[in-house]
Amino acid sequence: MAMRELVSGGAACAVPGSSSSSNPLGALANALIGSSSKTQERLQEIPTQSNGISEGNLYPGGQEAINALPGSELDHLQHPSSQGSAFLHNFRSSDQNRFADAWDDIQTPQMPPFQGRNGLTNFPLEHTRVQPNLEGPPQRVLSSFLHSFVNSGHQGLPLHPTQLPSLGLSEGDKKCIRDRSSIMARHIFADKSEDFLNSQVNALLSSLDIDTDIRSRGGPPGRFQEMEEYWNDSQVMQPNPHAADGWIAEFGQNRLQLADPNAWAHSFEKQHGANGWASEFEHEQSQLTSYDHMRGASIPNLAAMEQTRMLAHTLAQNDDPKFQNSKFLRFLSKMSQGDFNMDENQFRPPVISAPGDWATEYQQQYNKGQSWADQFAHEELAHAPEAWANEFSTKHGPVNDQWVDEFSKLNVQDWADEFGDQMGKGVLGDSSADNWADAYDEYVNEQATAKQRSEASRGVYVFSDLNPYVGHPNPMKEGQELFRKGLLSEAVLALEAEVLKNPDNAEGWRLLGIANAENDDDQQAIASMMRAQEVDPTNLEVLLALGVSHTNELEQQAALKYLYSWLSHHPKYSTIAPPELFESLYYADVSRCFNDAAKMAPEDADVHIVLGVLYNLSREYDKAIESFKTALELKPRDYSLWNKLGATQANSVQSADAILAYQQALDIKPNYVRAWANMGISYANQGMYEDSIRYYVRALAMNPKADNAWQYLRISLSCASRNDMLDACDARNLDVLQKEFPL
Amino acid sequence: MAKSSLKSAALMEQMKAHLSTDAGKDIVKKLNLVFQLNIAPKKIGFNEEIFVVDLKKGEVTQGPYEGGKPDATFSFTDEDFIKIASGKMNPQIAFMRGAIKIKGSMSAATKFTPDIFPKPSKM
Repeated sequence: MAMRELVSGGAACAVPGSSSSSNPLGALANALIGSSSKTQERLQEIPTQSNGISEGNLYPGGQEAINALPGSELDHLQHPSSQGSAFLHNFRSSDQNRFADAWDDIQTPQMPPFQGRNGLTNFPLEHTRVQPNLEGPPQRVLSSFLHSFVNSGHQGLPLHPTQLPSLGLSEGDKKCIRDRSSIMARHIFADKSEDFLNSQVNALLSSLDIDTDIRSRGGPPGRFQEMEEYWNDSQVMQPNPHAADGWIAEFGQNRLQLADPNAWAHSFEKQHGANGWASEFEHEQSQLTSYDHMRGASIPNLAAMEQTRMLAHTLAQNDDPKFQNSKFLRFLSKMSQGDFNMDENQFRPPVISAPGDWATEYQQQYNKGQSWADQFAHEELAHAPEAWANEFSTKHGPVNDQWVDEFSKLNVQDWADEFGDQMGKGVLGDSSADNWADAYDEYVNEQATAKQRSEASRGVYVFSDLNPYVGHPNPMKEGQELFRKGLLSEAVLALEAEVLKNPDNAEGWRLLGIANAENDDDQQAIASMMRAQEVDPTNLEVLLALGVSHTNELEQQAALKYLYSWLSHHPKYSTIAPPELFESLYYADVSRCFNDAAKMAPEDADVHIVLGVLYNLSREYDKAIESFKTALELKPRDYSLWNKLGATQANSVQSADAILAYQQALDIKPNYVRAWANMGISYANQGMYEDSIRYYVRALAMNPKADNAWQYLRISLSCASRNDMLDACDARNLDVLQKEFPL
Repeated sequence: MAKSSLKSAALMEQMKAHLSTDAGKDIVKKLNLVFQLNIAPKKIGFNEEIFVVDLKKGEVTQGPYEGGKPDATFSFTDEDFIKIASGKMNPQIAFMRGAIKIKGSMSAATKFTPDIFPKPSKM
């Protein structure tokens, strides 16, 4: 059966380059299920198994995990032949510990059916056993040895170098194990000394007969980066002894929440969507195909197509209707036949249809045999930018624009060179050869964060993971205290804990909204404020805050609605605001009402503030500035008012004045993240990029989640020709950036 | 500028004012190009509003470019333009994904980057 063959390294397995004796996939399955002989039986049993929830649960989990393999690593085209074994390693090693933990959990008494199985109780991954089982097939030995390495971390026992029988590890395997184990060791042993860590790793490596000296980073960087980032993050986190065990804690948390062995499978699903891996793979495949069209037959693509074909073949051999009908399989068959039909919406999320369209378009035009298009196609297109340019120009082939004629008279090579030069100069700071790979990486990352952003933009609040204030006896008081002290990110966490406990706490939601806005996150601010409004529809501050945030997000109609609501809910001015106006809110009417109110009560700073925001909406900046200045005379210590004044001035291109206003705000509230970020913007808008960088970094140091600021920082870095720091920026490495750009 | 309901309109106005500042004049000197932006509220090509960012003369106008041919013409949606101008979306990648349609000179198109646009400040 196909999956089993994949698992046990059978002949039809589409993974070239991995020796069967060290098939990590086999080891993985072994780790999950037991000895290899029992595995065969179990695997045959599995699709029809209906008893024993644990086993039934395990295998689909395992299956998903295995299915997940093809979806992740095919973007690294640099190593088409080694990618197979490499990413299996990646997959195995990076998730090994979670499996280990998941496995450990499963072993607890909650799962009585397991205890009875002989094969499983013999499994070396029990808590009590530190000595690895050195008998059995090499993959089992390897996996049990690695598990004991992990366990030694849990128990704090040093790992003894043991003489292992020859495991037949290839050089690639060894390199991977070496690198992975050092990273994992740093994770597991982060709270122990460096020496302990090194000795553990050395013990592991010497037992496996792997060279410890050369730590070259071979292999696909993808997983490394994630691991390194995570590790960096955990190092950068607040001084907290549990920081390094963050993920273990996270797992523990998740386990508590879900309380079943499917935790990791579910969380993978959650992360990537139910068909996440399938759609990820689809996304990635479509990119491959499109790129393929662009470049013609290129080696990495052939390998990818070939692999797809083989995968599809092996999967197809499985008679299980589940496989046959799987979207993934159908998709694969289509892919391997090379006929990727862009119009079939059922296979792909709509977001891909656009690239699909132009790729198809391109293909059609390519086939039409335009003479100059052919000329292009036959040119030696070794570089991505030229290919991109090629695609672009052929796309416009059939359109009889004049420039096309002009164009065809030009020397094609010159044009391509010019373009290549432009790209080479790194207008966008990308290296030409990696454009495509970067493009895909960014796209995948965007998809991951887009889901979160789309939730927030629909008004759904996104709670942080790993909230240390959950379980705090009085998170509301704590949140207020932290806010008062100016520790905005901490206040946000505490207040999140509060509203999780008491979702009807309007004041809690309101303060959370304010904290988010001051932390420069309008999306979350809007989400919090909307919840506050649900609980208390008459709270004026909430309505004003909603108006401000929507104005910032350029959502005119919504902003108008909230600002008008402010007026109609105000005890003094509600008479001026007739409710009929709500039906069709025109800016002019609302503005008039507010002006009436201002005449009624010129000493009321709030009316002037709302007026100021309203004028921002209509971009009548001078009037807005006037209103804010009036309000400031009445309320000179309102830091948020100074910021509003500054922002208005900045948006009307009076950046120098804006900076003065921001400075006033920061004098009153030094940790006002939004004001720091706005300072950066004002410097950047004046072309003073080096200064802007420092302010952005300062803002980010206070709130590393401020996505806007990260984007702006990147732009400023490239404008200031500090491309050396771009990597640090992309990696969100605040340490390096702070050291380099202090204020 | 006529009142537009697009978010991009706010950015265009800011750009217009920006071009009369020193920083804006630097950009004009550096680029010396004319971009035409066809911005659609929801779907590319439908109900487009046309803006011309003239980085030769240093002005931003509404409506198709009258003074000849723009160096590059871009078509995208309101949201996508905002993302590109704020650096959230890489224009190259956007192009590869079909989020932007480009006509005109390729070298001019590559100069359409987030750094030419001023950033909006938040109240």
